[in-house]
Amino acid sequence: MMHGFRNARPSKLARGVVVLSVAATSLALVGCDDHGGDPGKQIGANPVLPSLQQYLVPPIRIAKAIGWGDETPTVPQGLQVQALATGLEHPRSLCVLPNGDVLVVESNGPKAPIFRPKDIITGWVQWFAGAKAKDANRITLIRSGNGVPELRTVFLDHLNSPFGVALVGHDLYVANTDAIVRYPYQDGQTSITAPGTKLTDLPGGPIDHHWTKALLASPDGSKLYVGVGSNSNIGENGIGAEYERAAIWEVDRASGAHRIFAGGMRNPTGLQWEPETGKLWAIANERDEIGPDLVPDYLTSVRDGGFYGWPYSYYGQHLDPRIMPQRPDLVASAIAPDYALSSHVAPLGLAMSSGTDLPANYRGGAFVGEHGSWDRTPLNGYKVVFVPFSGGMPSGPAQDVVTGFLDANSHARGRPVGLAMDRSGALLIADDVGDTVWRVSSAHPGSPLKPGS
Amino acid sequence: MKHAVITETTFNTQSTGRPRRGPIHNVLVSFSAAYFTGALVTDLAYWHVPDVLWERFSIWLIVAGLVMAGLAAIAYVFDFADNRPIERPAWPRVVGYAIAVLLSLANAFVHSRDGYTAVVPLGLTLSALVVIVLLLTAWVGMALANRHRVGG
Repeated sequence: MMHGFRNARPSKLARGVVVLSVAATSLALVGCDDHGGDPGKQIGANPVLPSLQQYLVPPIRIAKAIGWGDETPTVPQGLQVQALATGLEHPRSLCVLPNGDVLVVESNGPKAPIFRPKDIITGWVQWFAGAKAKDANRITLIRSGNGVPELRTVFLDHLNSPFGVALVGHDLYVANTDAIVRYPYQDGQTSITAPGTKLTDLPGGPIDHHWTKALLASPDGSKLYVGVGSNSNIGENGIGAEYERAAIWEVDRASGAHRIFAGGMRNPTGLQWEPETGKLWAIANERDEIGPDLVPDYLTSVRDGGFYGWPYSYYGQHLDPRIMPQRPDLVASAIAPDYALSSHVAPLGLAMSSGTDLPANYRGGAFVGEHGSWDRTPLNGYKVVFVPFSGGMPSGPAQDVVTGFLDANSHARGRPVGLAMDRSGALLIADDVGDTVWRVSSAHPGSPLKPGS
Repeated sequence: MKHAVITETTFNTQSTGRPRRGPIHNVLVSFSAAYFTGALVTDLAYWHVPDVLWERFSIWLIVAGLVMAGLAAIAYVFDFADNRPIERPAWPRVVGYAIAVLLSLANAFVHSRDGYTAVVPLGLTLSALVVIVLLLTAWVGMALANRHRVGG
């Protein structure tokens, strides 16, 4: 080596190239340490959208899962919170039956394939964040009297990454990740052993990037609406993998036939009917890796035949350069969603406030369960917010309702996912890191329940 | 093509009376150079027809090249310790190769982006730059080796 040094005469050019490229590389590696702005500017109908940026090293900022210990979530004055069920296995969504029984869907996604070295890293990150829990693939039934659990049974077992549940008459529909299956249900039944009947296939493997299939029956029971998430962040698995995905399906309950009710929604979940107007509403997770404040996740009414941008554009006509070829025809028709929830909060639960057990300021609006960010500094989400509605449209800023999912060190005690209103009108929250179902109710005097916090 | 050049300048066994093996790190360097060059080819294919398969080929080729480069660095230490004949004009070659590896490291990150911009324009540019740097390195190395041989 020393010998080589003496003999070699590197040109000035070569030396210059070394210095330049080392400098450029280190600069680029350091230059991506940026922080997100005030999420408040991205809540509501007109979010501030910064210009997009592309990373050399995309930020990963996850909250380590630590569990609750003796803690409980925090609620504002006038509300109380208690655990309805603990020790569950990754509870993701909830469904309340007419007799008040609560179905808890314990589920996790199928194993993700490895296409690129990045997918290996992503697997590690998810494990660290507590998202790699075993997939219980079952539905647990909780029967309670005024929030005090009385009975807990395995309601349905051996499912395939289930998420959505809907009951129409005596037909109980479960949206597995790859199919809607119908089971016979009798009032008061605590366990179903009868085999299911497949109504229709849904887009499942082999990639199944966004695996959750939200489910909602039409008020007359003739149709089922299914939220089918995209098969990628931004089309990196090829546009062919996105066939009939990133859409809300309308499935005919009698025949199982389907049509695309609305498209261009990256990961639509939380399908709900807005009680005043009877319109379909949904929440959606928007795309990653173009900045801490892009793209805001949203809550929106869903128009029949509407296109909401993904993957070609966001919030109307803001183009995403990561998809090629572009589709100017679709972009021209892209609808901007109604209400931004701010970036990377990951809304995965929606409940239209309908009940009588909550204080008056929580009637007439939507609760949104924000699972929390994994690629933004500072963290965003990790709470349940309330969006007030008036005349069938959001009418004000989102208010924090249930917090405390993060501790002072930004570790995750839990993460809220699916929401539901129980028969008495209390808010139920599935917590897939705390493995708990929380019940938030009015802290009116004379309540037999001790406030949780 | 460039890897052929490197090999040629590499395996010039010096006649010391007993047969000696060439330094191992050079073989690994050749492999990594071939992988990096392959990534340029698959990048060009993706630029022509943006099918994700080409982009996946590229990122695996770049990562394979980086792994080989890492092994080459380890082998270099062993070769040095083992007193194997390491070519005289080592400095410009080490530096040129280091630049190519650093650029490839950055390129691996760019290629890990999602969608079209994982390749066009920055990924493709970096892949091309890496091959240019490798070619220049080989050319400079060869020129210096020849001069060294001639000039004693």
